[in-house]
Amino acid sequence: MASIITATTTSGLTHSADNSGVLQLASGTGNLVTIPSVTGTAMVSGNMPAFSAYPSSNQSVTTATSTKILFQTEVFDTNNNFASSTFTPTVAGYYQFNAYLSPNTSVTRILVMLYKNGSRVNILLDGTSVPATGGGGTILYLNGTTDYVEVYGRLDGSSPAFNSASDSTYFSGFLVRAA
Amino acid sequence: MTLYEKIKQIYPSLTDADFDLFKGTIELQNDSDGKGDYIKFWNHPTLKQPTQEELDAV
Repeated sequence: MASIITATTTSGLTHSADNSGVLQLASGTGNLVTIPSVTGTAMVSGNMPAFSAYPSSNQSVTTATSTKILFQTEVFDTNNNFASSTFTPTVAGYYQFNAYLSPNTSVTRILVMLYKNGSRVNILLDGTSVPATGGGGTILYLNGTTDYVEVYGRLDGSSPAFNSASDSTYFSGFLVRAA
Repeated sequence: MTLYEKIKQIYPSLTDADFDLFKGTIELQNDSDGKGDYIKFWNHPTLKQPTQEELDAV
């Protein structure tokens, strides 16, 4: 059951009410938006976290060493959840992440990895072809309080470094569905 | 000298395969927190993990 506000094609706006605590918005064609009573969160564009960032400078790393990538320059961060190259959302839900890394030195292998709470959860790229560059995406659940996500990269080669170009080294993410 | 290079100098028999992320037995990591590279895990079947003193001596 629910309290329902309906926009009809004959009587304009009508409504019916009950004590369920659930609110539904309906159009004359029957489309519904349901706002839950106690649990769950109805998201609007203003509070759906999304961010995108890229490095401010090239990052030297040690060969064969998984290294946290620094993304100091924010393109946007709608909910102020991105800091210190770490995304810690304040809204629980399922998030899409994208990361793309490129070396600015000659390397024989590149790995792009997503870490959740300090542990590797997804390999987004394991590339050995030349030029070894690229990335990928995945969806992760984050609890909206303590969960956080970082990007780690690894280059195998002599004195390797990651490129800082914003179009080839970036980390972005957004809320797909609140939970 | 990097941690990777120090380990290779202590154990010249190690190859890149030993440091392979999926098939290797040694993983090195750097959390970009100013503390530098460190051994995340060492599971080599015959060589013991070098001590900090051994690494510092290289």
